[in-house]
This record gives sequence, structure tokens and C-alpha cells, in this order.
Amino acid sequence: MTNKIMLVEDDEALRSQLERWLTESGYQVVAVGDGNLVMDTFRAENPNVVLMDIQLPGRNGIELVRDIREFAGTPIIMVTARSEAEVMDEAFEAGADDYFEKSPWEPEKLLARVKNSLRVQQRASVETATEEAGGVLKIGSVSVDILGHEVRKNGEKIALTPYEFKLLTTLAEKPKLVFSREQLLKDVWNHSYQGDTRLVNVHIQRLRSKIEDDPDNPTVVVTVRGIGYKAGLN
Amino acid sequence: MRTIIGLLRRYIQLRAVLSTVVLTGIAMTALGGFLSYSIGNGLFQTRLTQVLSESQRSVIQIQNTFSASNVSDEVALQTLMNSVVPSLESNTASQERQVALLRTPGQPSGSLALQSPMSSNLNLSVIPAQLRVKVAAAGSRLSYQSVAIPTAVGTHPGIAVGAPIQIPLAGAYELYLVYDLQNEENTLLFVQRTLVVGGLVSLFLIALVSYFVTNWLVAPLRVASDVAESIASGDLDKRIPAKGTDVISTMARSFNKMADSLQKQITKVTNVSTMQQRFVSDVSHELRTPMTTIRISGDMLFRNRDKLAPTLKKDAETLNDQIIRFEALLGDLLELSRFDAGGVRPHMELQDVQHVVGMSIVSVEPLARSKGSRINVDLPTDLVEVELDSRRIERLLRNLLANAIEHGEGKPIDVHVAGNEDAVAITVTDYGIGMTKEQLDRVFDRFWRADPSRQRTSGGTGLGLAISQEDAHLHGGWLQVWARPNQGACFRLTLPKLRGGVIVESPLSMPPRAALWALPKGFYHD
Repeated sequence: MTNKIMLVEDDEALRSQLERWLTESGYQVVAVGDGNLVMDTFRAENPNVVLMDIQLPGRNGIELVRDIREFAGTPIIMVTARSEAEVMDEAFEAGADDYFEKSPWEPEKLLARVKNSLRVQQRASVETATEEAGGVLKIGSVSVDILGHEVRKNGEKIALTPYEFKLLTTLAEKPKLVFSREQLLKDVWNHSYQGDTRLVNVHIQRLRSKIEDDPDNPTVVVTVRGIGYKAGLN
Repeated sequence: MRTIIGLLRRYIQLRAVLSTVVLTGIAMTALGGFLSYSIGNGLFQTRLTQVLSESQRSVIQIQNTFSASNVSDEVALQTLMNSVVPSLESNTASQERQVALLRTPGQPSGSLALQSPMSSNLNLSVIPAQLRVKVAAAGSRLSYQSVAIPTAVGTHPGIAVGAPIQIPLAGAYELYLVYDLQNEENTLLFVQRTLVVGGLVSLFLIALVSYFVTNWLVAPLRVASDVAESIASGDLDKRIPAKGTDVISTMARSFNKMADSLQKQITKVTNVSTMQQRFVSDVSHELRTPMTTIRISGDMLFRNRDKLAPTLKKDAETLNDQIIRFEALLGDLLELSRFDAGGVRPHMELQDVQHVVGMSIVSVEPLARSKGSRINVDLPTDLVEVELDSRRIERLLRNLLANAIEHGEGKPIDVHVAGNEDAVAITVTDYGIGMTKEQLDRVFDRFWRADPSRQRTSGGTGLGLAISQEDAHLHGGWLQVWARPNQGACFRLTLPKLRGGVIVESPLSMPPRAALWALPKGFYHD
């Protein structure tokens, strides 16, 4: 089965070229140019990955991310011409998983990010086959069922996106290790050295807001000042 | 500024009040002295006139009494003489006077032995010898002199008046009348006291009035200074309320006019800056989208170049290369425009600087390998935490390293990191072609290249160091360079440890000590 990418881009020339390029790279592509059509197309096509532009006619890309996150954890990669901090932070806070800058055009980078988004989703079904049955990790009041791809807090199920799940399991699998932001960028996002660590910061915040009793005083995902993050011990 | 204006204001006011008080004080003292003197003199003269006329009457009366008497014996004469004193002691017009009837010295002692009668409370020493001489020589005229009358407590001022009297049978005598001027003295003292008290009260009132008057004059200045202060601290809408046509209102209006024109200028500049930032952002978006489209097309042409006719294959390759170069240039230009428009906001985070250095070295390793340059790193043993935008500093270091590798001619590259209390320094040193003084002066200029004839292998845009310089300044840091032709170059980045910190001294010397012996002399630029 070929993976389906939904491409949201308003510039017609770029959209058609990207569509061609992605098709040539082996993906099925659904291209949308109008922000108003995005939600309907998403529901109808149920893509594996979304490539989302920020500036769109009709509806803003960040709004669309927020709407998709209401019901789906599908990996969303922001494709943007701007790298301004405020906009990207807003997109990550809304639920975007990764980003890709249009310029300078780095095709390998885009492919790597798409592939990683697919890998993150498939992780549970493929890799956990090798895990011991009942491989459940516990951090504080949170239990992570790797096999079942499920996170429970005090017995209650918590819905995490694939990236959030991957981030949490990465930390939980090595509870004694302190992960630097760059390490997490590499392990979770498969970014090279030039990664933007804000991606990690905002994801940690998002994760905390879902699993911590008090996100301002985290106990599950704790900050190690000057170094990075680690799983909180029992 | 506020305290200086405040002090100056208070100083002016204090000075005005003080000088008013001092000058008025001097004038009032002079006036008081004059008044006191003329009143005292007037009182004395009045009393003197009165005293003299009284004395004249008394002398005539006494002389007449003696001349008219026809006493023939000693006892009767003594009785008559004795009666003179009490008859003169009290008079109606003035207070008590003291009386003495003294025998003129230097006469042949007469046949009669008579006593000289005088008031019981009179001390003879009050009558000065000088006066007695004058009286003796005066004939029938009155003589007088100011004297001090001793009393139980100090002395009273007084006048002693004397006149010769001829007493039948007894010879030449002198009649002395001593008048007490204590009343006049008291009056004068009272007047003086009144003058002093009145003077002090008026001085106080004048000080008070001058304080209020100067305050009233200084108040608009105070308002003006407060308004100027508000404007200086950014509240451009503040103005001085101005009414009337006096000089202060004119000043206020001029000030307001100046503030208006300043505000207009500032608003204009701010608008231009905002517009420029917006423009750069728009250009960025508008240019990058077609740029990426072109790049994808070029990329696809390049990927499929083998399917093209051999003559077109070269075009596909050139097109792709130049598109890549153009894109890099566009990216750097837009980055610089953002700096120029003042729209760059760094994303500052506390980071271990060694980590950032490590990352940038890792990223240039493929390039270093391809050029055969080894990178030696000298890191401090402990964690050096610095508040920085890691993306920018990494880019900056990457750029310095790439430059060092490109100009290092395959020789090793040295990287040193060191920190002190408030700053951290990173030096990147190569031992390659170096630079001349002229080249060094232009090294941070946009689009400037050390040697245009040299092959551009790392595909630099000529804007890298200009952007690096901007990034260093964005962090409040320094980016400096030392170089010497054919011996190498050393770039030193010094950053404050905390945002807004001030660098006193860079923790690393330039060039680093290890290189000093190798590079005895060089040029500096920053």
C-alpha cells in the first residue's frame, strides 16, 4: 500500500511541482490549494501525513492544524516560507509535529521528515512485535503500554499523537538517561544537527499538558537544567 | 536627570530666597542703625535742652536767693545753703535730679568753715574733674557733660550741669545738677528692640514671600522638566500646558512645538521601520515560493538530465547549480534585510556553549575531511552556560569554521573555548593564507571576498561574515578578527553569559596563546 500524503499549498505552480516531485518519490499525493476545502478532503482521504502551508486563502494553516487535532493525531509537517519564531511556536502549540522550510529547498530533508512521520506511526505495530508481551513502562502515575500503543494515567486512557507517544516512550525506555534537546530531535524527529530545538520545547509542553497533574511542576517529564529532559522517577 | 534638574531648581530657588534675605537684611540693618541713631540723638537733644533750661532757671534762682539774703552769721548761712539742695532735688518737669553745692577750689580759706551740701545719693565722683575746671573758668555760663551714674545695677546715663554761684561771706561756689537719663535710655532701648523684632519679622516675611514668588516662577520649569522627562522615557504625547503670553508660556509653546516635531519624526521613522519589516517579510514569502518551485523543476531536470540531449545536459547542470547559488544568496539577503529592518528577535535559551561548538564542528566535518584539515578543539572542563540563540550561534560558528577550512590550505584548524565571570569566548584559528591589513578592514563588508580570483569551493554568498557580525551584535557580543598574510587568521566570538550582560574583557586573547609564537605580528579588526 502506498502512503498517502495530503499536500496543502496555495501557490499553484509550487503545488503542482511538489505534487509531481512527491509522486515521483513514490507517494500518493492529494493536493489542496484552498483552505476551505482542507477539512473535507482530510476526512474523505484520511491521509497518512499532512504537509501544511501556513499562509492560505480561506483558512490559515495553524487554524487547520488545530481543527485536525480535534479528532486525529495524523502527523502534520508545516511547510513554511517563514521561519519566524512566533509563527512556528504557534503552529507547534496548535499541534503541528514537524516543520520544513520551503527555502532553501532541501529535498532529502523533506523526504526524511515524511518518512519519519510514517515511521513514528508504524512503530507500535512493527517494532513492538519484538517487545515482550505486556511491555508496560511506568513513570509516576503514567503507564505506557508500548504494545497496545496506549497511555494511561491513573487508569484513564490519554490520547497522544504518534509524535507525543514516541517522545514519551523514548524518555520512558531509558529512565536513567538525560536526553539533550538535540538528542531528542534526532531520536524522535530524526533531524540532523541543524534542528530547531523549539520543536522539542513545545512538544514537551504539549505532552506535559496532557499527562502531568500540574504542567508547571512536572513530575513525569522533568527538565534537567542546562542539559535537557528525563523521565521522572517513581 | 530628574535629580539634577530638581537640585538645580531647588538651588535656584534657594539662591533667590537667600540673596533676597541677605540683601534685605543689610538694608534693614542700615536703616535700623540710622533710625536708632537719630531717635537716640533726638531724645538726647530734647532732654538736653530741657535740662539746660531747667538748670538755668535753678541757677538764677539760687544765685538770686543768695544775693538777696542778708545773713550775717555762719549758722544762718549754712542753714540757707543746706536748704538749697532739697529745694532743687525734685522739680516738676523731669525726674529727680541730684544736687551738689561745692566750694570752688583754689580760694584763700575764708573766715567761715562751711560744709558743702549735696544730695544724699550723689556720688561725687560722678562729677568729672574736667567739668569742674570748665565751670570754674566759665564765668556765669552753664557748663555740662555726659556722665555715667553708678547705681546698684550698673550705671545710668546722665548729664551733669554746673554753674558758679557767688555766696556772700563764703566766696565762690559751684552748683552742680546731675540729671538721670535712664528714661530716655529706656525709650531708646525700647525703640531699638522694636526695630530689631520688626526687622526680623519682616525679614522672615520677605523670605516667605520670595519663596512663594520664586516657587511660582519655578513651577512651570518643574512642569517642563517633568514633561521633558516623560518624553525622554518614551511618552511622546506629553505636553506642557501653556496659557497667556508671558515668557514662560512662550517657552512652553516652543517646547511643545519641538516635542511635536520630534514626535512626528519618531513616528515617521517607526512607521518606515514597520513598513520595511513588513516588506521584508512579504518579499521573503513572495520570493521563496517561486524560488522553491524553480528549484524543484531544476532538481527534476537535473535528476533526469541523462534523458536530455547531450547539448542540453550541460544546461540542466548549470541551471541547477546556479539556482542553488541564487537560492543561497536570496536566503542570506533576506536574512540581512531582516537585520536592517530591525525585525530580528533572537530565541535566547540557556545552553552549554561546548555543546553548541560541538554541533557546529560536527556539521563542518565532511568539508574539513574533503580539504584534509584537522580540527583541534580545546574546551574547558566544566559546563559553560550561556544565554544564546543556538541556531544563530551554531550558524555563525559553522560559517567561521567553513571559512577557516576554505582558507586554511589543509593545515589544522584550532578551536578554543574559554569563559570568565561574565563572558565566554570562542576562537577559530587557521594557519592558511591569512589577510592583509586592507583585506582585514573589509572582511565584514557585504559581498566582499578576500580574493576574487580564488575558486569558490564552499559556495559562499559573500554575506556570511556580515550576517555573523549581525548575529554577534544581536547577542550583545563581539566578533573580532586577527590576521597576517600567509600565516593565518583568527576569528574570536565573545558573548555575554547572560542576555543584556556587559563584556568587560574577552576570556581569550587573540590570537590564542598557542598560536602566538607562530604568528608574531598581525592586524586586528572588529
